[in-house]
Amino acid sequence: MAKILDKQRYKCAMSAMQTVQAIERAIPVLHSGPGCAQKLSGSTGSSGYFSPNIYPCTSINERDVVFGGVKKLESTIRHSLEVIDADLYVVLTGCIPEIVGDNTEEVVSGFKEEEKPVIYALTAGFKGNNYKGHEQVIDALTEQYLEPSKIRIKGLVNIWADVPYQDEFWHGNYKELERLVKKLGLTPNIIFGYNRGIENIKKIPAAEFNLLISPWVGLTNMKKMEQKLGIPYLHYPTLPIGAFETSKFLREIGTYAGVPEEKVEAVISEEESSYYYYIERYADLFLETRVMSKQFTVVADAQYALGITKFLVNDLGLFPAKQFVVDDTPREYQEKVRSYFKDLNYIIEAEVSFDTDGFNIHNEIKAHDYHGYPLILGGHWEKEVAKQTNAHFLNVSWPVNERLIMNSYYAGYEGGLKLIEDIYSVAKTRFN
Amino acid sequence: MSYKIAAASEDGEQINLNFGAAQRFLIYEVNEDGVWTLLEERSVPEGLEDVSGCGSQSCSGGGGGCHGSGAVSLKVDLLSDCRCIVCKKIGFPIQKQFEKKTISTFEISGNLEEVLDKITLYFYRSDHHQTLKGIAKQ
Repeated sequence: MAKILDKQRYKCAMSAMQTVQAIERAIPVLHSGPGCAQKLSGSTGSSGYFSPNIYPCTSINERDVVFGGVKKLESTIRHSLEVIDADLYVVLTGCIPEIVGDNTEEVVSGFKEEEKPVIYALTAGFKGNNYKGHEQVIDALTEQYLEPSKIRIKGLVNIWADVPYQDEFWHGNYKELERLVKKLGLTPNIIFGYNRGIENIKKIPAAEFNLLISPWVGLTNMKKMEQKLGIPYLHYPTLPIGAFETSKFLREIGTYAGVPEEKVEAVISEEESSYYYYIERYADLFLETRVMSKQFTVVADAQYALGITKFLVNDLGLFPAKQFVVDDTPREYQEKVRSYFKDLNYIIEAEVSFDTDGFNIHNEIKAHDYHGYPLILGGHWEKEVAKQTNAHFLNVSWPVNERLIMNSYYAGYEGGLKLIEDIYSVAKTRFN
Repeated sequence: MSYKIAAASEDGEQINLNFGAAQRFLIYEVNEDGVWTLLEERSVPEGLEDVSGCGSQSCSGGGGGCHGSGAVSLKVDLLSDCRCIVCKKIGFPIQKQFEKKTISTFEISGNLEEVLDKITLYFYRSDHHQTLKGIAKQ
């Protein structure tokens, strides 16, 4: 029987337009029906020089299904190049052109000689969600734009972490990861966000290594870059939040990149001493807030479910109830991701479920005994079950409907403090 | 179920007329197996006062856009028993009027026979829940 997707956690692959939007002066050129473009365009923080309402779109219709839409695609790309002043044009295809058999590759290859790069990604929705779409855009860059570099710049590191806009803390997280890596004496290179763009894309091939901070999203990109550009990668599966994980993270990068141990330890000790200064100042709050939860559940993509679970256990001393990974993690990665949740301090292991069905998830939350007020960190959908279970609720994962995240972040030492602030700000609203 | 297709063609070989310019339409009947035959030629009665499909206010530069909300074109009425209209060009408001009657419009020029083969294949596959995979290439 057909299954109904209850409480949507992601969008279809063509939402990779958000990944393109996150690269300054890059513009998606959509080969799809107007409805796809309209429905996928809504996300906070996407106005600016280019915004979804001006994305060129072939707006294909029934006629193009029968007779093909390649002519429209050709003219749409040509006119985009004429009218829109961008640095990179990324053609994204929806379901229809791929089903009926439009040869996008052939059309796009006709623009090889243009001054500005035009690449394409086949992001038909039936191929997967926007985590996959994000990967397809990065792969498209590797396959169609980047060339192996003759020079390697010592210490240059490409950083890949959050999926922009899907993970709403992406702006701040990337900035903080950049700051930390820089402190180790390395030169971080990130393509998403403020003041980066095409110049940073061009630097990718010269990097000494790729740093992937994500449980599974991006792994295929790293392999592709290793294969084509000869860049090795360091896979750090956990988004580091708080002191324990961030120090571990810095040590691992330090070892991999050959940063002298004394230097790494000096950075860690400086960062930790500031971090624990605040923890110490507010220790009374942690001890005396009686309404604070003992057990927690995270409902998020693997990136946040894992990062937050590790932080709440290792740094805050909470106990994990079941965790829910809702990004439709491909089967081949599930066991590996599950194992990361078992690697917690104090021999604690977190049970994790890969489920995209909100109905099941909420039923499991309702059935669990949290030994007090539950702490639920999840998408906007969890507000309902939080109310039913009298829980403390913090909206950290998509959809984020009732808070605004501009450039704040959970990554790193200070990110951990920010997450504590957010959690206790919720807990403190209850009579203690 | 059989259905009809209206084509705007001057010579019965090429689709070469704009919808507005066509004074007669070739009506084809398509049987259940997707085989098409010429059924009749349907002329637009002389002196038929046509409208653009716009209400007098909606397209007068007010910027409100046009959604085919004006009086229904008599040509649309004339072809309302067809499943789709094939012509070289057709205006947006008239397309909208056909759309409201669930009649598809195909803007295409070229060989009439090939176009009819393609459209009938498309409808046949849709009606029989068959895949449209690769249809644009066939």
